[in-house]
Amino acid sequence: MTSISLSVSGAAESVRQVARAFDTFSASCGIAGPVAQAVQVALDEILSNTVRSAFAPGQTGRIDVRFEVAQGVLDILIVDDGIPFDPLARAEPDTKAPLEARPVGGLGIHLVKRLMDDVAYQRLEGENRLRLRKKIIGS
Amino acid sequence: MEIREERRDAIFIVAPVGRVDSNTSSALEAVVLAHAREARLLVDLSGIEYISSAGLRVFLMLARRVKEAGGRLVLCGMGASVRQVFDLAGFTALFAVETSVEQSLLRLSP
Repeated sequence: MTSISLSVSGAAESVRQVARAFDTFSASCGIAGPVAQAVQVALDEILSNTVRSAFAPGQTGRIDVRFEVAQGVLDILIVDDGIPFDPLARAEPDTKAPLEARPVGGLGIHLVKRLMDDVAYQRLEGENRLRLRKKIIGS
Repeated sequence: MEIREERRDAIFIVAPVGRVDSNTSSALEAVVLAHAREARLLVDLSGIEYISSAGLRVFLMLARRVKEAGGRLVLCGMGASVRQVFDLAGFTALFAVETSVEQSLLRLSP
């Protein structure tokens, strides 16, 4: 299996659905250990953010996810029809602040940027398109 | 998620098992915050596959509560994936981190 696509709603349970889909895909591609775990963390950050803030109250929402492996690189495309939102535009959190002043917001996207090799956002034809890439050779 | 709880002498040990993510973090939050007033608290992370920022938030709250209550908190057993996320978030410096339960018990001994 070199690619898999799924479409989920903008509901909270979709985050787990996507995690399960990646479990299946990663097992079939031999992606395991720290690389698979890093991808699961990134997916949790992105998807939980999307179901929490991309859709208006009462809007079902749609999120399309595609996993593909080609030439040793995992390519993930996450597309939603929610409000325009570029997660990468968010300011970097202060990761050196003392305990009392430590911010929680923004940590998720910071992790995604660091755990993945490449992250790109595009607003196209009324959709948010986020592309994550991660080298899997040697994983 | 499964969360084991155990009291060993004067030390309370919490050991979550599985994935700590946006789906499971509230269950972990309920358990660890219920023990935030323990004088000596150990969280054994060896059963955790990975942790996302939803889980980091729980540990941040726990550290603040323990500090307020004047208790002591040690984390141990971080696997490579959990350690990487703690490091990237700059969280490792906020906690007393040990490799094993045994080392942690020594550190928490009066």
